[in-house]
Amino acid sequence: MIIAGLGQVHAAGNEDDCEGPTADCVAIGRWNFSVALGAGVRTNPLVNGKDIPLVVIPQLSYYGKRFFIDNLDFGFTLAERGGNTFNLIATPGYDRVYFYRSDLQNFFIGFPNAFEPGTPSLVASGTPGAIKVPPPAPRITYLAGPEWTFKYGPVSGQLDLLRDATGQNSGDEIRAALGIPLLKSVGTVSANIGFTWKSAATVNYYYRVPILYSGSAAFDPFIKLGYTLPLSSKWRFNAFAEYERLGNGIADSPIVAAHGVATVFVGAIYTF
Amino acid sequence: MALRQFSWVRSIRSSAARGEIALGSVLLSLGLLFPLRTSAMSGGEGGDIRLELSPRICTLTTGNTQCDTVVHASWRAPGNESLCLIIVGRPDVKRCWEQYSEGSYSIELVFSTDLVFQLKDLGLQQVLASEVLRVIREAIRYRHKRREPWNIF
Repeated sequence: MIIAGLGQVHAAGNEDDCEGPTADCVAIGRWNFSVALGAGVRTNPLVNGKDIPLVVIPQLSYYGKRFFIDNLDFGFTLAERGGNTFNLIATPGYDRVYFYRSDLQNFFIGFPNAFEPGTPSLVASGTPGAIKVPPPAPRITYLAGPEWTFKYGPVSGQLDLLRDATGQNSGDEIRAALGIPLLKSVGTVSANIGFTWKSAATVNYYYRVPILYSGSAAFDPFIKLGYTLPLSSKWRFNAFAEYERLGNGIADSPIVAAHGVATVFVGAIYTF
Repeated sequence: MALRQFSWVRSIRSSAARGEIALGSVLLSLGLLFPLRTSAMSGGEGGDIRLELSPRICTLTTGNTQCDTVVHASWRAPGNESLCLIIVGRPDVKRCWEQYSEGSYSIELVFSTDLVFQLKDLGLQQVLASEVLRVIREAIRYRHKRREPWNIF
């Protein structure tokens, strides 16, 4: 789909309707930094997994004419035409955040403590007759692949076709989402819906338990409701709630205790 | 040689003929400064007078609307001249020399558009030399942000 769409557009930057800093446009060649301060939490679906606090959430980005850095994602814009943009991106594998509080993505998501693996255990320590199973210890992985984003009226969309590029699991992942503004008056209420599909190789890299469990591909849909209210030129209020349902391939793993991941946050974002 | 210097300008630093300033003060106090030669034409109509500015360009970056900098102007002539340095549109800035072959002047300026520096005769009728301090606004180009409804924000 992405490759087919690529044929319909011209080279990036041929028609750029960005003439100033707006919600959709950003200056080329400059670093952008913002930080969200507030209170929130992302639940950890692992057995004995500790929830991830959301207190300080730094966000940084840099856009060159084609190259960009977006937090931990790296990208190269192949083509842009009208509301369609085609990128090649590299992005970290996400699920590691549940296993390691110190994962870099937790730095961009929440407020990481010192190194603190959220290593799941199937039984309480000292249980008589328990079989010791080595817990998963996923390494940092990077997925790479094409990305298609689009804007159709007020709706924005994102579709990423990704494959492990670090040789850790050779797994595939599809990330897709729509951003839909619902209400715009003083502030903006918006809804995001989407899903993540993970191949069996990806699922098993994180959730397989030797001897006991080998998972299948998982489809994780999510929905997020958010509210943003500009407070000044630098500050804006932000609140959101998100729920992601984990596919059976993940939820059925004995190291997973919950069938979903909930995230809530209320705070303010300061843009430098 | 140094007969008279005028300074009606707001000067932060003026190195123009520093030695002569002191000498002029002494001569003034001794009442030896008059009679004066006040013609700016004595140096051959000022055709070979060279005026130089530093900096010659002020670049405004994002978020800056004004240049705020010390500008150093210096001039040199083949012979003695009587002249004044002015900035077009800035009547508060005026620095004059009489019977000098060179001079320099530094001033802190705040400006947002090009400044035209001119050396004129003492009567401010004839332009002897001119230089422009240009203001360049950094050309900022924009592009679309990445759309990322999948992400946390």
